[in-house]
Amino acid sequence: MSTQESTLAAVSAGRSWQERLEPYLAIVGPLAMIAMILAFMAVVEPARYFRLSNLNIILLEAALYMPMAMAMTFVITQRGIDLSIGSVAALTGIIMAFAIKQYGFPAWVAVGMALMIGGTFGLINGLVITRFKVPDLIGTLAMDLVYRGFALVLAKGLVLARFPDLITDIGRGRISGFLPIPVLIGLITFIVGAIVLRKTWFGRYSIAIGSNPESAEMTGIAVDRYKVYAYVLMGAMAGLAGVMLTGKLNAIQATSAPYFNLHVIAAVVVGGTSLFGGRAYMLGSLAGVLLLSLMINALVTLRIEFFWQSVASGVVIILSVGLYTWLQKKDRDGSKGVLASLSTPDNRKLFKLAAVLILGIVSLIVLGFVFATTTTGSG
Amino acid sequence: MNAVSAPEDLAVPVIRMRGISKHFGGVTALENVDLDAYAGRVLAIVGDNGAGKSTLIKILTGVHQPSSGTITIDDESLVLDNHSDAIALGIDAVYQTLALADHLDPAANMFLGSELTRRFFGIPFLDNRKMRKEAERVLDERLGVKLRSMNVAAESLSGGQRQAIAIARAVYHSDLRVLVMDEPTAALGPQETARTLKLIKVLREEGLAIILISHSLDDVFEVADQVQVMRRGRRVGVVNTADSSSQEVLGMIVGAGAEGETS
Ligand SMILES: Nc1ncnc2c1ncn2[C@@H]1O[C@H](COP(=O)(O)OP(=O)(O)OP(=O)(O)O)[C@@H](O)[C@H]1O
Ligand SMILES: [Mg+2]
Repeated sequence: MSTQESTLAAVSAGRSWQERLEPYLAIVGPLAMIAMILAFMAVVEPARYFRLSNLNIILLEAALYMPMAMAMTFVITQRGIDLSIGSVAALTGIIMAFAIKQYGFPAWVAVGMALMIGGTFGLINGLVITRFKVPDLIGTLAMDLVYRGFALVLAKGLVLARFPDLITDIGRGRISGFLPIPVLIGLITFIVGAIVLRKTWFGRYSIAIGSNPESAEMTGIAVDRYKVYAYVLMGAMAGLAGVMLTGKLNAIQATSAPYFNLHVIAAVVVGGTSLFGGRAYMLGSLAGVLLLSLMINALVTLRIEFFWQSVASGVVIILSVGLYTWLQKKDRDGSKGVLASLSTPDNRKLFKLAAVLILGIVSLIVLGFVFATTTTGSG
Repeated sequence: MNAVSAPEDLAVPVIRMRGISKHFGGVTALENVDLDAYAGRVLAIVGDNGAGKSTLIKILTGVHQPSSGTITIDDESLVLDNHSDAIALGIDAVYQTLALADHLDPAANMFLGSELTRRFFGIPFLDNRKMRKEAERVLDERLGVKLRSMNVAAESLSGGQRQAIAIARAVYHSDLRVLVMDEPTAALGPQETARTLKLIKVLREEGLAIILISHSLDDVFEVADQVQVMRRGRRVGVVNTADSSSQEVLGMIVGAGAEGETS
C-alpha cells in the first residue's frame, strides 16, 4: 500500500504544476490576450485608446454582453448552444418599446415584461430541443429566423426611439463617482451566476449533464428539465440585453443586435468553458467579454473597417477552441512533436489537396488576367 | 438476517419480478423473465454478451420501463417511472459504466442526484464542505479507500477509485435494501477485485439483497448464493451455487446442457 502511495505521490509531483495551473488556465488565457492588446495599443495609439471616455465606452459595450455570457456559460456547459439570442434581444426590445410608446405602459412594467417574454422565448427554444428533439444548433438557428421575422413584422422599418429615464438608466446611466449602471447589472448577474454554478442543483447538474448526459440520466437527474431551465435563463438574459441595448442607444429596431450570438459564444469559449461540455468557468466568461470588447474597441480606434470585427470574432472562436482542445489532449497523451504529428500520411494527402486547390486558383487568376477584356477599366 | 439460513421456500423475496419483457424498437431484449432477490443473499446473473442482463437490472432500477410484466417489493407492486423512484424505495445500482460525471470531483459524484444542502434564508444551497467530509468518511470507513486529493476531477482517478466512488454513492443511503452491481470487477486488477468481493460479503451480512452481474464465474462462485442464467433475453435457469459447479453453469450459458431452449 505504501509503495503504491509513494508512486502516486511521485506522479503527482511530476505533473503538479500543470494540475495546479489548470483551474486558472481559463483566466490566464484571456488575461494574457488582454495584456497583449493593451500593450499593443499602448504603443500604437495610447492617447485615444486610454482616454477615460473611451474606457467608459469599452465598459458599456462589455456590460451589454455580460448577462448573456453568464447564461451562455450554463448552456454551453450542458453541451448546448443558443444561436437565437440576438433576435430574442431585438424582439423583446421592440415589444417593450411598443408597450411603452403605443400602449403607455409604465417603464418598469415593460422591463419586467421584456425579461419574462425573453424567458418564454427561451422556454420555446428549450422545448423545441428537448421535446421535438431538434438538435440545438438547428433548433435555435431556426428559432432565430422566427424571432427575427416577428421583429420585422412588428416594427417594419421603424426605428423606435426616445424612452423613459428608467430604460436609458439601465442602458447607460451611471451612479456618480461609481460604476455605470449597466456594468453594475452585468457584474451582479455574474456574481449570481458564479454562486448558482457552485452552490445550486442547477449548476451542479449543468456540469454533470455536459460531462456525461447518459450518466446524469442514470443517476436520476431530470436532464431535459435542467436543459430547459438553462435555455429559459438564456432567454431572460437575452431579454435583459434587449432592454440594455434599447437604453444604451435610446432606440431599437428590428435589425438590432445582429451578431450577439457569435460574440457571446466567443466570449464564453475564450474564457475556457468547453464546447464539449462539463467545464464551466464563470470568471473566464467575464474575462472573455472584456477581452472581446477591448479587441473590438481597438479595431475601431485603429479605424479598421467595421466588417473586420466579424472576421476577428470568428478567428478568436476557432483559435481558442483549438487551443484548449490541444492543451487538454497534450496533458493526456504526453507531448508529441508538432512536426511529427503533421507528417502523417493522412496529413500529407491533405497538404497535396490544399496545394492542388491553391494551384488551381492561382492558375485561374493568371488565365483571368491573360484573357481579361478592358471594358471594366473605366467603369 | 435469518433469511440466510432459512430454507428457500420459506423465505419471502424482497424483489419479485414476473414476466418481464422489453422491446427496443424491433429488438427484443427480454422475453418473459422472472427474478427473485432475497435479503441477505447474493444473486448472480450470468449470460453471454447481449443476453439482456443489463437491461433486466435497469428495469429494476427504473432506468428503463418494461414493455410488460410486474415488479413487487415486499409483495407490494411497483411502478418505477425513473431512477429516483427506485432510490426512494431503497433500490440502487452500480452500473457497468459507473455513471460518473468525469468533470466533477469525487464528493460531487458521490452525492450526484441526492446532494446535501443547507438553507440560507429558506433557499437550499449545496453544502459542498459537508459532502466532501461525508464522502471522505464513507470512502474510508466502508470501502477502505483513501484518495490522494478530494479536489480532482473524477476523470483523473484510477478504475478502482472510480468504482469505489460509484459504490460509495449506492451504499451511502442508510435505507438501501437492494444493491445491483453490473460487472463491478470487470475493469479491476486482482487486488481491487478481492476488495470488491469482500465488500459484497460485508454488505450481504448487513442484510442487503445483492444482485451481481458478472462474466467471471470464479467471482460468482466465491460470493453468490444463487446464479440466474440468461440467454438471448430469457431466463434459462436458476441454481444454488452450493449444489452446482461452474461447469454446469457454463453449459447453461452456452446452451449445451440438458436445457430444451436452444432452438
Ligand atoms: N437502449 C437500447 N436501445 C436498443 N437496444 C438495446 C438498448 N439497450 C440494450 N439493447 C439491446 O438489448 C439486448 C440486451 O442488451 P444488454 O445490455 O441487456 O446485454 P447484457 O447482457 O448486459 O450484455 P453485456 O454482457 O455485453 O453487458 C442487446 O441486443 C442490446 O443490443
Ligand atoms: Mg451489460
